[in-house]
Amino acid sequence: MKERETLWEACLNKGVSRRSFLKSCVALTSLMGLSTDFVSRVVEAAETKPLPVVLWLSGQECTGCSESFVRTGAPLPSDVLLNSISLEYSHLLSAGSGDDLETHLEKMMKEHRGKYILAVEGAVATGDNGIYCMSGGRPFMKILREAAAGAAAVIAYGSCAAYGGIQAAKPNPTGSAGISRYISARAVVNVPGCPPVPEVMTGVVMHLAMFGVLPPLDSDNRPKQFFGNRIHDTCYRRPFFDAGMFADRYDDAGAKAGWCLYRLGCRGPVTYSSCGNMRWYQGMSYPIQSGAACIGCTSAKFWDEAPFSERLPKYGPMGDIDMIGTGLAAASVAGVAVHGALSLLQKKKRDEAEAAEAHRIMNGQGGNK
Amino acid sequence: MDASNVSVVQRRIYYLFSPFLRLFHWIMVDCICVLFVTGILIGKPLEIMNFEPSSTFLLTNVVRNLHFLAAFVFCASFLLRVYGFIINKGDRLFPRFWEGHFYWETIDVTLHYMLLRKAHKSYLRNPLARMSYAFLYVLVAIEVFTGFAMYLMVNPDSVWAFAFSWVNTALGSEFMTHLVHHYAAWAIILFASGHLYMVTRAEFMEGESEVSSMFSGSKVLVHVPTDVKEII
Repeated sequence: MKERETLWEACLNKGVSRRSFLKSCVALTSLMGLSTDFVSRVVEAAETKPLPVVLWLSGQECTGCSESFVRTGAPLPSDVLLNSISLEYSHLLSAGSGDDLETHLEKMMKEHRGKYILAVEGAVATGDNGIYCMSGGRPFMKILREAAAGAAAVIAYGSCAAYGGIQAAKPNPTGSAGISRYISARAVVNVPGCPPVPEVMTGVVMHLAMFGVLPPLDSDNRPKQFFGNRIHDTCYRRPFFDAGMFADRYDDAGAKAGWCLYRLGCRGPVTYSSCGNMRWYQGMSYPIQSGAACIGCTSAKFWDEAPFSERLPKYGPMGDIDMIGTGLAAASVAGVAVHGALSLLQKKKRDEAEAAEAHRIMNGQGGNK
Repeated sequence: MDASNVSVVQRRIYYLFSPFLRLFHWIMVDCICVLFVTGILIGKPLEIMNFEPSSTFLLTNVVRNLHFLAAFVFCASFLLRVYGFIINKGDRLFPRFWEGHFYWETIDVTLHYMLLRKAHKSYLRNPLARMSYAFLYVLVAIEVFTGFAMYLMVNPDSVWAFAFSWVNTALGSEFMTHLVHHYAAWAIILFASGHLYMVTRAEFMEGESEVSSMFSGSKVLVHVPTDVKEII
């Protein structure tokens, strides 16, 4: 097995100047969400760490995550794929296909056992021994297990790989689920999103490639630097929320003026993502900026939290909980009135009976004297 | 009035509720009113229409801050409740599931409230009411945990968020936490309406001092209550 080259060696071989190399290291540092203090460590890692092998598996998915990845603005995806990592297997980007590619996957898994990074896009179909998602004639569940067993780290790209995604929506006929519970690897990074922000995807894989360790993770195994804030708390429309300025329909004056979409069911207040600060496609826009309420695509189970256009679910003609609660309150007032009236009747009878009893006793005593 | 109609009734005073419990109770009443109204307004904020945002009190921001203020006051007031519980036997209202008579007394009170029995035995604190209070505390605990899970996750890195974020995980998602918080709020309001009726009924119809004791701390009863041993 030949020694893999480092980023610096790759630059030397391609005739890239030291100055350009250092500039890319600075860019990489900010991309990974690190402070400028880390530049020297990034340079050191780029000079000494061999470029990692990345295997990119696809399960139940739409390839939207790969599509997002190849639209990364900085660094260009071509730089990531050709210079920074060594992508050895990918359904979307591999030139080869068929038996050759599958054999190559097995070969890479054997050669780099314990060292490669496994990127997984898509959920794992667990129903009926995994027959609902086959790749190369084998259940994806089995391929995933084998690949994860030899991986240094596993990245779950997208809400499907992290939580199950759209195909896991009720009633979930294929037993679709997030990958983490079905693999033995301990080092799993969840990068949810449908798809995730492109720069977040590259940032996570570059962090693993450069430092060989996982980025700081939260309790849900999401990298803190990208999922540490709610969209609501970083949203540029937040001042309109605080001031009570809301759009009520997508065609009203509030919507046109760019007011808050909270009343249209925006899930920004419960969604953790970098949409609000990094935005998409080199900071061009994000869903709320383009006038659509957030649907919370980085949240677990967001697919079952319909309707996206309402804050509260509706129960047919009964309406939402506020309608039902008001109805129940009215019913309890009516019930109280009826019960109160009946209680008064009962009390009247009881008092009469007691008075009669008292009267009888007193008269009886009087008679005895 | 004919003297024979005047019944001379001997009533006895039973001191029950410490000032700490009473204070807690009225703070809770105020907080729940504020929390419910502001909570509904947070879920369905009013449109400020043509008003200048800086000159109206209905800013979502103000409403939210009122909600949080009331929530913190409510949580802090539990100190009073706990202190009263420690120093005063009469404050210990938990239903006594572990004592056999509890079940018979519950049936006794239930039959009376279903109007199938003329009256129930005399209690300092009847077992059905005690159960409803335990139920209320469960609802309040749900509100506190879901509330802090939402409020503190503004900084998921903090220790406080670590202490409460498991609620979101347990419920499946933070959106579900919002829903549970909202639904439990309605359950509390429905409890409150029933509670208000039952205590008023007990006070003015049965002479059980349910309302007045929450001001004075004492119940004035005709019969010797069956659970009098609990406060001796």
